[in-house]
Amino acid sequence: MKRALQLLLVLTMMVALVSACGSGNKGNGEGLTPTGGSVTTAPKKVELKVFMTFPRFKDQFEQYFARFKEKQLAEKNIDVTIQLEMPNADQAKQILQSRLSSGDSPDLFTLHANDIPTYYEAGYIADLTGQPFVSKLYEAVAETVKYDGKVAALPMESLSWGYLYNKTIFKENGLTPPQTLDEMKNVAEKLQAAGVKPFLLAFQESWIPQLMMALSLGGTVSSSHPDWIEKMNAGEASYADVRSVFDIIDLIMANGSDKPFETGNEAGSADFANGKAAMWVQGPWNAETILKVNPNMEFGVAPLPVSNNAADTMINLATSTSLALSPKSANKEVAQDLLNYMLDDQDSSALFEELKFNPISTVHTYEVFPWVNEASEYVSKGKAYLDLKLPNGVTDETAKQLQSYFVKDATQDDVIAALDKVWRTAVKSK
Amino acid sequence: MNTYRASRADQKDNKPKMNSSGRAGSPRLGRRIGSGAVLLFLLIAAIVTLFPIYMALLNSVKTQGEMLTNILAWPSMPEFGNYVDAFQKTRYLRSLGNTIIVVAVGLTGIILFSSMAGYKLSRTPGKLSAILFGLFVMSTLIPFHSIMITLVTISKELRLQGSTVGLGLLYIGLGVAVAIFLYHGFVKSIPRELDEAAVMDGCGEFRLFFTIILPLLMPITATIAILNTLWMWNDFLLPLLMLTNYKSYTLLLSTNMLFGEYNNDWSAILASLVLAMLPVIILYLALQKYILHGIAEGAIKA
Amino acid sequence: MTSRTWKRNAILLVFVLPALVFYAAFTLAPAFGGMWYSFTDWNGLGPSYKAIGLSNYVEAIGDRYFLKSLWFTVKFVLYMLVLQNVLAILLAVLVESLGRSKVWFRTIFFMPNMLSLIIGGFMWMFIFTRVFPYLADKTGWMLFDQSWIGDPNYSFFAILALSLWGGVGYLMIIYIAAIQGVPKQLKEAAAIDGAHAFHIFRHVTLPMIYPALTIGVFLTLNSSFKVFDSVYALTGGGPGRSTQVIAINIYEEAFSFSNRYGYASAKAMILFGIVLIITIIQLAVMKRREVRA
Repeated sequence: MKRALQLLLVLTMMVALVSACGSGNKGNGEGLTPTGGSVTTAPKKVELKVFMTFPRFKDQFEQYFARFKEKQLAEKNIDVTIQLEMPNADQAKQILQSRLSSGDSPDLFTLHANDIPTYYEAGYIADLTGQPFVSKLYEAVAETVKYDGKVAALPMESLSWGYLYNKTIFKENGLTPPQTLDEMKNVAEKLQAAGVKPFLLAFQESWIPQLMMALSLGGTVSSSHPDWIEKMNAGEASYADVRSVFDIIDLIMANGSDKPFETGNEAGSADFANGKAAMWVQGPWNAETILKVNPNMEFGVAPLPVSNNAADTMINLATSTSLALSPKSANKEVAQDLLNYMLDDQDSSALFEELKFNPISTVHTYEVFPWVNEASEYVSKGKAYLDLKLPNGVTDETAKQLQSYFVKDATQDDVIAALDKVWRTAVKSK
Repeated sequence: MNTYRASRADQKDNKPKMNSSGRAGSPRLGRRIGSGAVLLFLLIAAIVTLFPIYMALLNSVKTQGEMLTNILAWPSMPEFGNYVDAFQKTRYLRSLGNTIIVVAVGLTGIILFSSMAGYKLSRTPGKLSAILFGLFVMSTLIPFHSIMITLVTISKELRLQGSTVGLGLLYIGLGVAVAIFLYHGFVKSIPRELDEAAVMDGCGEFRLFFTIILPLLMPITATIAILNTLWMWNDFLLPLLMLTNYKSYTLLLSTNMLFGEYNNDWSAILASLVLAMLPVIILYLALQKYILHGIAEGAIKA
Repeated sequence: MTSRTWKRNAILLVFVLPALVFYAAFTLAPAFGGMWYSFTDWNGLGPSYKAIGLSNYVEAIGDRYFLKSLWFTVKFVLYMLVLQNVLAILLAVLVESLGRSKVWFRTIFFMPNMLSLIIGGFMWMFIFTRVFPYLADKTGWMLFDQSWIGDPNYSFFAILALSLWGGVGYLMIIYIAAIQGVPKQLKEAAAIDGAHAFHIFRHVTLPMIYPALTIGVFLTLNSSFKVFDSVYALTGGGPGRSTQVIAINIYEEAFSFSNRYGYASAKAMILFGIVLIITIIQLAVMKRREVRA
């Protein structure tokens, strides 16, 4: 057996030698692009690979990068080509991880701010402390992308979010955003009676149903189980301790629209914009997609009730998508320029406004969107909490579990057992 | 369905009767009805078979709005913009080129190496030959999913991940076993005296193989080429694991990515599906006699 | 050993070596490697891992989702086994009974086989999620108004339909080849004896295609146990994990978020074991047939 393995090893090495020559050549071709000889005016050619999880904003970013290219050419005589890759949200993480682990990292890539620790520890993201953009960030936002005292990424989406509701429908039915679970039940009943679907369900992409858990777990833990995460990490707690998180989820699922698994984010946004349901557990990051379908749509952001104590009903404060730099980038300087250009004094404001993102920096001078103001009111009353930091993989498992839960392929106990297990595995593998 | 099948059986009953007693008048009518029913059944089956392809074609030249209003109707004005869109979004030519590279590398290796090995293994008596042949045949039992995890790790170590040529090399390793088996069987039909005569003439081993034997293997080579081309062209999982960068994506991967990215934009998706089907369908219609023959041959022998 | 044998074996090795190198690196090495990793806790990323004996296997046997995927696969295999072969034989017999037009039908029925099930899957997805709701609107038939992709009870049949669509043609070709092997005289002789078509089919044609039936059954068994593409394209194994087959379950464990290579390898070995058992049965059955014949 051992000898057989040795033989295999030798054979494997042989192939390695053969193929090493092949890939070596290829590397040369890509890495060292010939510069234009001795003519000093010929621009230096640089290619940047950018990986982002915003397929819906492809046009906007392409335009923005085009402007960056002009700028680089004018100011530094560098001819930048940007290879922009935008897979859909459910596939993106897997693609990115296999790229990173195979050493084929994009120069710049987006990740969720909650994943920064894992990626930083693995050596996949570069330290950005001291970059010009850092000083332009709001202090509170900058904190969310720091790890180990270092700025690890450029935050793009800073959010104060809950669920979205259709203001027109609420007004027509004489409703205001409910503050307790029972009030929410009432609202749902009234809407049903009026022939309006209370909740829009768009579950085709699993990250959307997962948002319900993010809010209900966030609200529950932050209000009544502040030490739960610590205990989970120590292996002393269980999702069974916060079983009440399912109350609101059950309510939403029981009052939702039809065929949720055939509705993705785009279709869901269109349905919501067209008033097919009164509420949608979805963040304001979707504003652009919704307003594209119906520019006159009036929607608001409200905190999701998780219990019958109105004080537990809070807004979630989070930094989600952030842009990180690979330490292995062959064109670090250009990549850094592009990062800084994201918060450019002149151009950034228009981009963030167009994307309907929240302002995150002093350079963002556009008027704040109405739904942001609404959420900010809750925040100013202290009805807010910081997004929970769950171990790597827990969020993804939650996404799957909630899909299963909806089709009754998993009971509450199954979901609890599965989430406990993935949490244990994540803590163990740390 | 059940009743339909039963009635079909009845109608078929008439058929041989008129075969033997074609003189009578009424059985002829029965035959007509019988074969009419057969034809009808087959026509329905053919329509079901072609329906998805037809729907894809039809709606790929409609605007999103027209698709929503009437999905079954002919387009009022063919909208070929979808194709331009899909062509760009799937980086069609590049993806097609990548696919061709993968298949070319894989196919060349499989045919060359397996014909050599299959021929010699078949011709050489003795223990070593039997052991080696057994070693190759053994792996046909191993499902791909059982080895894929380690295969990915190995290709990572060998720096093959992310390269189309690398993927082609992997296919060689995965494909030789079955091909050797087929060659091994076929070589038996080539008279041994041929080898001996050639050796008497002072022909070297390699010259003998490449100038005399290889051309004689042509029929089975064609079968092997067809089976392997189809397999590599349509394989999805291994490229998905191996090609991490969209620049090296095959047609299938690009189509899959487009589907993920624009999952509500069916006109672009359908156009991209049609584009992805195009090379295979053309190949099929042009070579279908050989393909069907090769398929039957391969399945029965393997 | 004589020098002649030596020389013969040396030449043999020269001819076999190129194939052997690739085969060893990309089939044998991963097979043995996978076996080894299945006894470790390797997470695919870090270089450090340790042997943990059988605990991956123990975990797999208690893994609710793995067992469910196993059961789902078995159910799928059984349906495929019956439907795919029955349909293929039916088509083969009917197509063969035609005159010149049979070429057309053969071409059409085999066409889906030329396409990847990923492509086919997306086309069927369009049918299920766009065309069916439209038809439901027009006809009011409940059959069309179901969540064919989103409700696991229905999506099982959606996956089945796609797989049959893509697979029947292949078996049909094999059965046609077998039917063409039935000597015409035999059929005619039976016809003259006054045998009914159905009887001719049962007693003349069917026995002749029995060997092909063995091929058809085991081809179906083999391919449906490993089904991946059609599920991936239609449901991705979802909602949640409700339509996961073994291959998807292994794929997810290894390459989606958790990256538990060691554990996934153990599942992969279990799959290997199952396929192995099927093949052994297959060989035994074939041998018995041969002896009888």
